[in-house]
Amino acid sequence: MLITLIEKELKAILQSPKFVATFAVCSLLMLLSVFIGIKEFQAQQKQYDVAVSLSEQGIQESTSWRGMSYKAYRKPDPMQIFVSGLTNDIGRWSHISQESSVKLRNSVYSDDPIFSVFRFIDFAFIVQVVLSLFAILFTYDAICGERENGTLKLLFSNAIKRSHYIIAKCVGSWLGLVVPIMIPILLSVLMVIAFGISLEGSDWLKLFGLMSMSIFLFTFFIVLGVFISSLTRRSNISFLFALVIWVTFVLIIPRAGVMAAGQILPVPRVAEIEGQRDAFAKDKWAIFNEKSMARWDSYNQNTSEDSDSSCGSNFVFDENELWEHMQKEDSARKIVEREIEAYETRLQEDLQQRKSGQERLAFSLSRFSPSSAYQLAAMTLAGTDINLKSRNIEVMNNYRTQFNNYVDNKISETNDLSGVFMIEISSDDGVKMNNKRDEQTIDASDMPKYIPAKSSMRQSIDALIIDGGLLGLFIILAFAGAFLRMQKYDVR
Amino acid sequence: MSENILTIEKPRLEAINLTKRYRDGVLALDNISFSVQPGEIFVMLGGNGAGKTTTINLFLNFIEPTEGEARIDGIITHKDPLAAKERVSFVSENVMLYGDFTAVQNLDYFSRIGGQSEYTKDDYRDALLRVNLAEEAHHKKLRGFSKGMRQKCGIAIAILKGAPAILLDEPTSGLDPKAGHDFIHLLKSLQKEGKSILMSTHDIFRAKAIADTIAIMNNGRIIMLKKSSELAGCNLEELYMQYMTGHDGQRLAG
Repeated sequence: MLITLIEKELKAILQSPKFVATFAVCSLLMLLSVFIGIKEFQAQQKQYDVAVSLSEQGIQESTSWRGMSYKAYRKPDPMQIFVSGLTNDIGRWSHISQESSVKLRNSVYSDDPIFSVFRFIDFAFIVQVVLSLFAILFTYDAICGERENGTLKLLFSNAIKRSHYIIAKCVGSWLGLVVPIMIPILLSVLMVIAFGISLEGSDWLKLFGLMSMSIFLFTFFIVLGVFISSLTRRSNISFLFALVIWVTFVLIIPRAGVMAAGQILPVPRVAEIEGQRDAFAKDKWAIFNEKSMARWDSYNQNTSEDSDSSCGSNFVFDENELWEHMQKEDSARKIVEREIEAYETRLQEDLQQRKSGQERLAFSLSRFSPSSAYQLAAMTLAGTDINLKSRNIEVMNNYRTQFNNYVDNKISETNDLSGVFMIEISSDDGVKMNNKRDEQTIDASDMPKYIPAKSSMRQSIDALIIDGGLLGLFIILAFAGAFLRMQKYDVR
Repeated sequence: MSENILTIEKPRLEAINLTKRYRDGVLALDNISFSVQPGEIFVMLGGNGAGKTTTINLFLNFIEPTEGEARIDGIITHKDPLAAKERVSFVSENVMLYGDFTAVQNLDYFSRIGGQSEYTKDDYRDALLRVNLAEEAHHKKLRGFSKGMRQKCGIAIAILKGAPAILLDEPTSGLDPKAGHDFIHLLKSLQKEGKSILMSTHDIFRAKAIADTIAIMNNGRIIMLKKSSELAGCNLEELYMQYMTGHDGQRLAG
């Protein structure tokens, strides 16, 4: 009996004219988004290869260890074909040098702001927006539509268990919608292979995880549609209800979560932090200046008394005293500088902690929407999540330390004075200037290699467990709702 | 009224003191009792809100009685609904079925749902021909079918289920005269096979043409219950109007 009911649901979906049209549109969009993603990735990969070789060439052509710098680039990840996430919002490269700190520059959206207006359509977007709507459109009248048609009455005039009916509705709709949609999904993956995009073992696992999460989200919206259809007696009300819930889940909760977190746990802006730091520094320097003046007064008083009481060796005595006083002043200044630096570090740490807290709260609130849970999981799996920037900056900072140590060692090993103007004055030769700039290039073949950041498999597994678990819970809740509601549904 | 109830043993359909009061307080059915024997056509006649459809809904356990019970082959429908439903077929006022399925696909699906999975394509063809549905329509999608054609499919489904009792809720409403005539013939042939038929209608002439027993209902009560033999020579329309205006209703109901 259950099989018969499932078969019917399957047939009803596959034979309906709206299925063919919707399936065709979804498939086309999915394949198109992956195709554009591949082209975009290939262009970025090419740009990356050229940029890296130019950067290495720059190192090879250097003639001096001093002032040496390297350009580290963020490597495009093939997973961004499916989930662009924040990859286009974050800068692509940073200077690595002793002088400047790591800062990612030139994001795709900052270079071409037109793309940030509507952003790219990727696979995750299609699943999150188009497929979820597709699922709702096919299931919002699953039960109330049958009631309106009168088929529900005819059906339940037979010896059918309501539990079997609701299971058949969910399973049949799932098979009827998920199995066909697997075709464009698999074609997308084949397209990636056909275009010669090399995926590592971990990428395949992540891709499998992404596809599983996509099916989970799709399943949720299918079951949700069935649940909504069991709450109402009319399909037009069910449609409106489903649309409102869809908008809430897909558009409202993700944004509201972030906005609410911003209000609940406000994070000071950079200008505020700088203002606090400047105010602290100003106070500290004011106290220092006051004390310094007092010390100078005390010093002047002491020296004038000493000069009055003793004669002859005044000059030598004053110079030593002055030197000692200035050293004390310098120490006091350094203490103030350290205090300001420590205060700034505390401010930054506090800011970072608040940001993390706000981020956690924002994501926790957003996760009330299955759509957000999917988005967060998809971005983490693709490595285009919120940690993309910090992950790259951390790797670049680590590399900067290695790079700077390497350059320092080379300068001391080679006693490199290049880049320094030397002026020699000799009674025989007169004045000679030397800047050693035109000497041969340096050998940087043993320079540490920059290995770009890559998202860890552990993070991906965590995302799968947390967000996959959440999606699973949402599916169970929607099914339980539909199941319980069906037991009391008035079939008349 | 009890003296009018048929007293043959083991009736196929029984309503025993059947009462239904909805949550909003409306009394849809007020303590009605009747029985339908094998091979009998029992017609419930009445206007809108008389309680005809409520009676059928109680037999199908779509709603539960407030008091009393409906029985099919002795099975109390609200206590063992699945067993009861195995013994009954149902044809609604407006048979819709699945518009994207063909007539044969609909028959196949509902037959299997009704527990008959051994039917062949020929069986479906025969059933559809028996209800006078032209062969060229058998493999067409129901979306384009007229009400009469859909009704024929509904009857074919009921026949194929092979249940001993058939419940029909206003089956002839909206049918053209030819389709209505065919329908009456079909019911007669089913009666000859021993099927018990409980039908609701407000079509007095068709009721008189086929019924073995007629119950006139008003405001949830049976106000007249007579065998067709007792009505021979009566002007049923006039009688119906008399009962509906309460002329004889008070006496009979009391």
